[in-house]
This record gives sequence, structure tokens and C-alpha cells, in this order.
Amino acid sequence: VDVLLKAVGDTPIMKTKKWAVERTRTIQGLVDFIKKFLKLMASEQLFIYVNQSFAPSPDQEVGTLYECFGSDGKLVLHYCKSQAWG
Amino acid sequence: MTDDKDVLRDVWFGRIPTCFTLYQDEITEREAEPYYLLLPRISYLTLVTDKVKKHFQKVMRQEEVSEIWFEYEGTPLKWHYPIGLLFDLHASNTALPWSITVHFKNFPEKDLLHCHSKDVIEAHFMACIKEADALKHKSQVINEMQKKDHKQLWMGLQNDKFEQFWAINRKLMEYPPEESGFRYIPFRIYQATTERPFIQKLFRPIASGGQLHTLGDLLKDVCPSAIAPEDGEQKTQVMIHGIEPMLETPIQWLSEHMSYPDNFLHISIIPRPTD
Repeated sequence: VDVLLKAVGDTPIMKTKKWAVERTRTIQGLVDFIKKFLKLMASEQLFIYVNQSFAPSPDQEVGTLYECFGSDGKLVLHYCKSQAWG
Repeated sequence: MTDDKDVLRDVWFGRIPTCFTLYQDEITEREAEPYYLLLPRISYLTLVTDKVKKHFQKVMRQEEVSEIWFEYEGTPLKWHYPIGLLFDLHASNTALPWSITVHFKNFPEKDLLHCHSKDVIEAHFMACIKEADALKHKSQVINEMQKKDHKQLWMGLQNDKFEQFWAINRKLMEYPPEESGFRYIPFRIYQATTERPFIQKLFRPIASGGQLHTLGDLLKDVCPSAIAPEDGEQKTQVMIHGIEPMLETPIQWLSEHMSYPDNFLHISIIPRPTD
């Protein structure tokens, strides 16, 4: 599944934005990956949003989100260190 | 229609008689008596078990107590799934009361999410409502609401106030006059026997010719193994809120009347009991 990661607010921007992710990868798995990549502390919070409208549950699979909310062959996810869309 | 409103009430007020027992390896100062409680099907375990926690903490030493978690026959129960779904999926054809084991140690990190406060439950609940509206209305209805309306949905659930909840939720169940239903139906299909957590896909309530899609149509499309072959016997039960709706029921009607407060249809596919 192709995922495009977009930073929100003053959150650091990932140098590589497009990633191929296995369908069964969870949101929590993705959060851990982004935190490592951006060299954030494990204790820092990172919020992920779909369609700039909701934050999926950490155990939700990326494949399911892609099927329901993907467009043009990719799933766009916004990430933020603070709550952006509640 | 009066009949339809009754369904909303029946769904809201559904209860499951439950017996909570402390896990035998927990260290107690006195014997721990089991605790009985009627659990609302539409709510979440960590939202309605404050009394259970207090009851068992009374017989334990302070240092032995950390985050509470629940288990049924060895399976950790996900608090972020509605109680009715957990029961239908794991225990629907067993004798009542539902026997749940309470733990305070060895939190199963791989299976359960943490729930440190009611705020976590509220955030999860609202995220589900928003996801459902993204499917039904491209998020237009939920985004047009004010923050106090969102709060009212949560307070209605938390305080078991049917009217308060539905005063706002009814707006999430409407659709434009030129349409015959929602854009897509928010649903999740769970099977205790598979590896996948649940099936969720895009599914339109209305066919291109204008006919209403049914529950049977949905299952044929996303989970064909749930429907028996024409000549074979039905090996599974398709359960929502403890009942098996007829497969001919329009999915739009089911979405409007039998969704959980999070606006999702949580459907369990379980083995049919052989007796």
C-alpha cells in the first residue's frame, strides 16, 4: 500500500514522504517508524489523521484505511506532534 | 415510525448480566468476592467498570494494583470494542451470566490498548464517529456541528441518556433529499476464528439501478464465507446486538437503526451452535 506522509504545523517534515507499507501494518507501527525516522523520543506524542478529519485507532491496519480512504492509488496521512483535528 | 424508534431504544438499553471474578494469581489481603453487574451493550468496558475496580481494589494492597484489564476464557478483552460486540463474538451462545476475569498485573501490551483515563475513551469514541461520518457524508455533517454537539454525543453515552444522545445523532443519520441513503455504510465484520482484526470496505447502500442493498448483499460482497451455499447448511450466525437480522434487511435501514453509538454496524460472524 502506498502511503504519503504530510507534516502538519511545526512538526518536522520527513525527507522521504512516500512509503510502501504492508497492508497489515498498524497505525501504531507507522507511528513508531515515523518517530524513529524523525528522531523523536518515544515519550513524545504523534497524532496521525486520515482525510484531515479523524485519528484512526492505533491497532487499525493501514490496508483497511487505504481501501476505504485511499485515492489516486495512495493513502494520504497527516502527522502532527499536537492534536490538529481533535 | 413508532416501530423504528422502538428499535433505537431496544438497542440503546440492551444489557448483559456479567459476573466479574478476580484472577486467582492476584495477591489479596482478603478473599475477593465476585462482583455482578449489568453491562450496557452499547458502551465500553473501561467506561462502566469503576465500581468493579473499586470493589477489587478494596481487598488488594496498593502496590499490587496497576491498570485494570479484562479477560474471557484466556482472551484479553479489547476495551475499545463495544461490550455487545465482545459478548456476541466470544460468548453469545454460552450460559449467562457472562464470566469475566479481572486482572491488575501483566498487562498484555500486544493485545490491548492502554486506557489511562476517560479522555482516552472519549477520543476513541469520537474518532469512530468521525470515521463513520467520513464514509456516510464525506465528514460534512460532523464538521458542521459545533464542539458542544460533539460533547453532547459523548455525554449522552457516558451518562446513559438516550434522548440527549439522539438529539444530535439523528443528524448523523440523515441524508440529502436527492439521495436514497448514505454515501457508504460504516460497518465492521468480526470473526473470532480469523487472524484479521475485522473486515471494513467501501459499500454503497443503493445499487446503480436504485434498489436497496441488503445485509445479504453486503456479506456476499465482502465476506462470502459467512453465507451458506444454496444446497449446504448455514454453519455460521450473523449477529448484531445479540440477534440475527434477516439477510433481506436493507443495509441502509440497519445502518440507521442498529448501529452502535459510534455510528458503526459491528457485525459478528460466529459458528452456529450444534444442538
